[in-house]
Amino acid sequence: MTTDDQASDVPPYAAAVRAALSDLPHDQAEALLEDLEDHLREIAAEAGASLTERLGPPEQYAQELRAAYGAATSGKAQREPALRNLQRAIGSVTSSVWYQQLRAFLPELRPAWWVLRAYLVVLILTAALSPGYNLRPIPNPFSSRGLLEILATIGAILFSIRLGRRSHPLRPGRRRLAIGANVVIALLALPVLASMGTFPSFAMVESGAPGQSPDFASPYSLGSVTNVFAYSKDGKPLTDVLLYDQDGRPLTLAKDPDRTTDYPIGADGQPITNAYPLNQRRLDGTPVLQPRVAIPPWPATAVPASPTASPAPSPTR
Amino acid sequence: MGQPELDTSQLLKGVLDLAVLAVLAEADSYGYDVVRRLRENGLDHVGDASVYGTLRRLFQAGALNSYVVPSDEGPHRKYYGLNPRGRKALDQSAHAWASFSKALNHLLNGRSNGHDH
Repeated sequence: MTTDDQASDVPPYAAAVRAALSDLPHDQAEALLEDLEDHLREIAAEAGASLTERLGPPEQYAQELRAAYGAATSGKAQREPALRNLQRAIGSVTSSVWYQQLRAFLPELRPAWWVLRAYLVVLILTAALSPGYNLRPIPNPFSSRGLLEILATIGAILFSIRLGRRSHPLRPGRRRLAIGANVVIALLALPVLASMGTFPSFAMVESGAPGQSPDFASPYSLGSVTNVFAYSKDGKPLTDVLLYDQDGRPLTLAKDPDRTTDYPIGADGQPITNAYPLNQRRLDGTPVLQPRVAIPPWPATAVPASPTASPAPSPTR
Repeated sequence: MGQPELDTSQLLKGVLDLAVLAVLAEADSYGYDVVRRLRENGLDHVGDASVYGTLRRLFQAGALNSYVVPSDEGPHRKYYGLNPRGRKALDQSAHAWASFSKALNHLLNGRSNGHDH
């Protein structure tokens, strides 16, 4: 147990030593450092204390190595004290206890990222393949393709975990490629996530351009509004009310996957899609009934809408 | 630099090569074991990095040969041993050290003798 804990010290410590010696010519550094990790592991395996406690900070260790190896203190580093300070600062961060604990802990979060990245990829692909689609978090019960999205997400998660759990380490080139791909996923996800859910929740009515057949395939569904019921002020239900928006475009509703709608067919053979209330049936064929409503009392004459209406607030005047 | 005490680590710097060669002359060894054996022999202040760096330098200079011994538990160990060139370097250094320490001992004895008078 202790041995494992100490061994996890080795990569960050070795990295800090290498960083402190990064000014050495490459071949010289290689000749000096080629079995540094094995050597440190040997120490970590036998020692009861952390490498920093045993050997001092990595920069000091590097200085001692440099002196014993007889490598010249690099003139470059002496000419650039700022760089030297930076290296020292980086070294002191990477050798600090909290950094090493963080480094040791981060790998445990990998599986969480495997799941998250699969989810993000599905969101990104959904956004990329269907521009204009009002992207909502998956699972989205109001989307006509909610099931498809869920299946795609599950598939992607399984694939991603399989990728992540591969037993053999990647070659350095591929490893860099893989890290790059993960970063790209994270970056692409940012604008997708930012655009998600910014639609006002009351924008539930869809407008179509005049003369243009409404596009019901466009799933502009925020869920709630599936029909519109109009009443006169004395509480009489109105039928075949034609609704238009401020630009004169017919107001149409997104198609409700749980209901079928029979539109009246106009004299020109085109369905009239903005005549309310819509004549809807459930999938099992039963007609959708008119809801109970409470008609507010008007100042002059208050007429209850229906016998079943709940008590209406009394007028304030 | 006006320091009254003798800095052992400074002394060690000059003779660490010799000490490492001497340890390896007893038996082939790997880095951590060399450090341990030096310390067992009374060189308490020998630094791990110094020994590692010295081993790498002597190896690069062609005084040592090296081979890896796989280990079932723990890391593989890179063993170092003296080659003929290393043995020759050890002989020469040992000779230089002998005459150096003889001279210094003589000097110190003379001083203490002088005090005794």
